[in-house]
Amino acid sequence: MKTVKIAIIAIFCALTLGTDYALAGVPNVKLMDLIVFIGGFLFGPIVGSSIGIFSWFIYGSINPNGSPDPRIWVATMLAESVYGIVGGLLGKALVSTNFSSQRLRLSVLFATMGFLPTVLYDLITNTVYASVFGQPVIVAIFAGALFAVVHEGANFLIFGILSVPTIAALRKVVKG
Amino acid sequence: MNKWVLVALVILCWALTASLMAGYYYYQYSDLSSKVKEAVFTANLGINYGNGSAISWFNGTKISAGSTLLDFTKLVASANYTDSLGGASINAIDGVPNFNPKYWLWWSYSSFGWTLGSVACNRYVVGENETLLWYLQDTSTYPPPSP
Repeated sequence: MKTVKIAIIAIFCALTLGTDYALAGVPNVKLMDLIVFIGGFLFGPIVGSSIGIFSWFIYGSINPNGSPDPRIWVATMLAESVYGIVGGLLGKALVSTNFSSQRLRLSVLFATMGFLPTVLYDLITNTVYASVFGQPVIVAIFAGALFAVVHEGANFLIFGILSVPTIAALRKVVKG
Repeated sequence: MNKWVLVALVILCWALTASLMAGYYYYQYSDLSSKVKEAVFTANLGINYGNGSAISWFNGTKISAGSTLLDFTKLVASANYTDSLGGASINAIDGVPNFNPKYWLWWSYSSFGWTLGSVACNRYVVGENETLLWYLQDTSTYPPPSP
């Protein structure tokens, strides 16, 4: 079982990295958050958060925009794990839910579950960024609010549109 | 799944977005106003004392960017006012006080004609080359006729 989990984490990390590099030219719009969330949803919060941490560990070290400050890098790794944890908790709560009968409601729920952890992610990373560069936290949060809103809005749409079909398809694959 | 929980979650997302954007625009405004506060431009202010005498015009007066109508008024006349949470209200200009039913009102001129000021004079930021008017006006009929 351990080997299976390691394989799942490796496959999901490869997916996040592939999509991250493909979308490197589009700031703040990534499929990484969704993939980490789905990893957590299907395989639990530990696997999900591990996907988030390892994905950012690699993406931060080999980054097309240059390597970040180590403190920001660590904060980003930990903040990314939030998607896996939220996905894992939601997966447990919805374990017996029939996806085909309430697609619209689930899509709205997933859209908000994409949005809210992104707010937390942006707050964490902006706060650490401010402390690293000696800026007031409130200024860093509001000066970067436009980028944050793009990130949050994109995740609202991505999670809302892609979560239900992806999870439904992967559930079938996992169940064999 | 309760639909009202979903509605509440969507409203929460919207509220967070609106709050972040409000903070963003406040930051942009503060940043921009601190950069242009040294800039100086001209504007025009008239004072109609409501006693039939000619309007005193202070045309081409140089003021700092970001100045309010109250700042502008104090530059060209003596103003007695009361400040409160709602903003400053003028008691007298050049010693001429409000006396019921006449009160000091301010007007702004544009290509549409005169518009009655809708905010307190210390909340209104004067624009470049803008024409404004203080008018001690009879308010027994409201809104009062334009100048």
